[in-house]
Amino acid sequence: MALRTPSPVSPVPVRARVPIPVALVVLAAMLGLAVVAGVGFGAVRVSLAEVFAALGRALSGAGGPTSDAVIIDIRLPRVLLAALVGASLATAGVLYQALFRNPLADPYILGVSSGAGLGAIGVIVATSSATALRYFGVPAGAFLGAILTIVLVVKLASWRGRLEITSLLLAGVAISYTLAALTSFVMVFSRESMLAIVFWMMGGLTDASWQYVGVVAVMLAFGLVLPLTSTRALNVMLLGDERASQLGVDVERFKRLVLAAASLLTAGAVAVSGLIGFIGLMTPHAVRLALGPDHRALVPASVLVGAIIMVAADLAARTVLAPVEIPVGIVTALTGGPFFVWLLVRGSRSL
Amino acid sequence: MSAVLASADGPLPFDPHGPGIEFCDASVGYSARTVLAGVTLDIAHGDLVGLVGPNGAGKSTLLRCLTGGSDLLGGSARVAGIPVGELSARDRARLIGVLPQTPPTVFAFTAEEYVALGRHPHLAALERHSPADEAIVLRVMGQTDTARLAGQRVDTLSGGDLQRLTLAQALAQEPSILLLDEPVSQLDLNHRLQVLDLVRDLADSGLAVLGVFHDLDLAARYSDTLAVVHDGGLGVTGTPAEVLTPDLVRKVFAVRAVVAPDVVTGSVSVIPVLREAATEGPSKGSVLVVGGSGAAAPLMRRLALAGYTVRAAALNRGDVDQAVAETLGIEYAVLPPFGEITPDAEERVRELASSSDAVLVAEVPFGRANLGNLRVAVSAARPLVFVNGFNESRDYCEGQAIALVREAMHRGAHTATFEAALDAIGSVIDRRL
Repeated sequence: MALRTPSPVSPVPVRARVPIPVALVVLAAMLGLAVVAGVGFGAVRVSLAEVFAALGRALSGAGGPTSDAVIIDIRLPRVLLAALVGASLATAGVLYQALFRNPLADPYILGVSSGAGLGAIGVIVATSSATALRYFGVPAGAFLGAILTIVLVVKLASWRGRLEITSLLLAGVAISYTLAALTSFVMVFSRESMLAIVFWMMGGLTDASWQYVGVVAVMLAFGLVLPLTSTRALNVMLLGDERASQLGVDVERFKRLVLAAASLLTAGAVAVSGLIGFIGLMTPHAVRLALGPDHRALVPASVLVGAIIMVAADLAARTVLAPVEIPVGIVTALTGGPFFVWLLVRGSRSL
Repeated sequence: MSAVLASADGPLPFDPHGPGIEFCDASVGYSARTVLAGVTLDIAHGDLVGLVGPNGAGKSTLLRCLTGGSDLLGGSARVAGIPVGELSARDRARLIGVLPQTPPTVFAFTAEEYVALGRHPHLAALERHSPADEAIVLRVMGQTDTARLAGQRVDTLSGGDLQRLTLAQALAQEPSILLLDEPVSQLDLNHRLQVLDLVRDLADSGLAVLGVFHDLDLAARYSDTLAVVHDGGLGVTGTPAEVLTPDLVRKVFAVRAVVAPDVVTGSVSVIPVLREAATEGPSKGSVLVVGGSGAAAPLMRRLALAGYTVRAAALNRGDVDQAVAETLGIEYAVLPPFGEITPDAEERVRELASSSDAVLVAEVPFGRANLGNLRVAVSAARPLVFVNGFNESRDYCEGQAIALVREAMHRGAHTATFEAALDAIGSVIDRRL
């Protein structure tokens, strides 16, 4: 039935893509290196051998020198937390970008981070005397804030069932400002927490602890279930809601699941590290440029790359102006802001 | 776990003798707005039904209600005997393949990856493409002439390539029902025929196909049945020849058209003459046109478009000019096919001439059969314009036509080129009024 046709064979070359397994192995190795570097460098430099020695002593329960405490109780949780936060934000970015079919979507720009932030701050203020509650209360508050925000932003931006990307970004920005004002309002009325809130908001990992690592790890684990098991459905969603429905995706249900997963991931990251912008924007985009839009590669690679970027950004935040430590949110914003502008100028259609 | 997934994955029963698409008194629209009401239409397996009608009539809305893109507001719509509302998205996608009007926004997938997305409803969450899936993708890409695009990025392809890839994607679903929304709107001539030949083959092999068409000729050529959508409902339904009549084209599209047999396929072909609205407004005067064999058709059309009341002298049934005169709804004297002008007809032409402000003689030869037309034109005492003058090569009646033309010239008749004929008519009528 195939017919010969007179149209010429187009000479447009196929973009060479890196094979997915190779890319993932390389990225995992890079993450390992980044973690080792993150633990090794800092105000006190620790050699690779010392890092592994300390790890071995800690795992075997043997006592060690006091430098072990720096590695095991300060550096290591901090680096792991950075990796988990980066992975969470990057995955949330992948999900939002797939859902809204636009590379400009990320939790920070959509206002979800601010919503999670306000939810977290609400819990911080309310539980100022009961610190133990915070490990669960803050992430829960952040999750609630994130969900409410994204639902509100999407409602505001939808008109007659259509979701214009410009409206979405504008609604995100507008809600972000409103939430920031509310956050300031809360701060003014709870002066005793103000300093803590300010530092937390700028985006930092200074409070890193193994408890935080545990909380974020659990939220990341839950948040990754959907993106890792629905990669093909995410691909189909890129074709638009109506086409996705024609190809067998239960679109409304799937959207709700994706929003819930993305909000969970954002909330986990925000709860422990404050507002860190642009990781969710830059990571999926960079990965897509290298590996293509297929979520089977995009999801796992973004998890790894987000972790790598965040560990590197945290390392820079700790060492560039040492002994002064810059909030890591400033580092990501300084690199991410220009990247966002570049994306805007380049045109938002080339996902 | 895999057993559960596999069982969810079994093929849906597809009975080629079972029901295809059944609309029964269906109302469709968007939330509260009804676009079409009272639609009753059956599309059996093996049938290709074409929906035709003006823009915005609701053809796409009718298609889309089968896949959840618009709402079924009343009545029933079933596919394979199952009410559409009761199908899960996944089961629906295994029954129905859709080629949407606008191909979806695409990303940097390769063409092969893009087509393979059509296998989605057949695969469990983490299931990978089997060799059988890959074979299906290759086959449908071959059928749609897109195999050579396999490794290319879809965001670099032309609209036509993308349309055929999107059809391939729909076919990769292995549907038993195919919905096509203007399937060839973006395609060149070769690919139009190719895609429609393929769609015809698919219907012949047992698919139920419902398509929206704007090209009436192609719709007529390929469809078993045409259904007209207009005025908020389904109009005539029947074979293309039953449906596509000049009256229907005029009523539904507000276009006057000649419906001629399609010489290639024996189907019908719609030749639009002019828009209904183009002839509205006050008449600038009336003109009797003497023609035949197609010489007068373009003049009659242009005069009508320019706002004149057009009449025609005697024309033979079956003649192109007669078909156009009939389409334009103008007054003229009719003769049997190949018949000679009769005294009655000549009298009728004389009446038409005497009530006209001017007479225009097209570049037509004169013989015994139609000399009467010229006789009336010359003796009617109306301003007379000959298109491209007259010469002996057009006289087939031993100089009688030449003599009549000489006489007319003597009395002050005008000649004008084809292009200038309208201006000449305009000036003689202005002078007369």
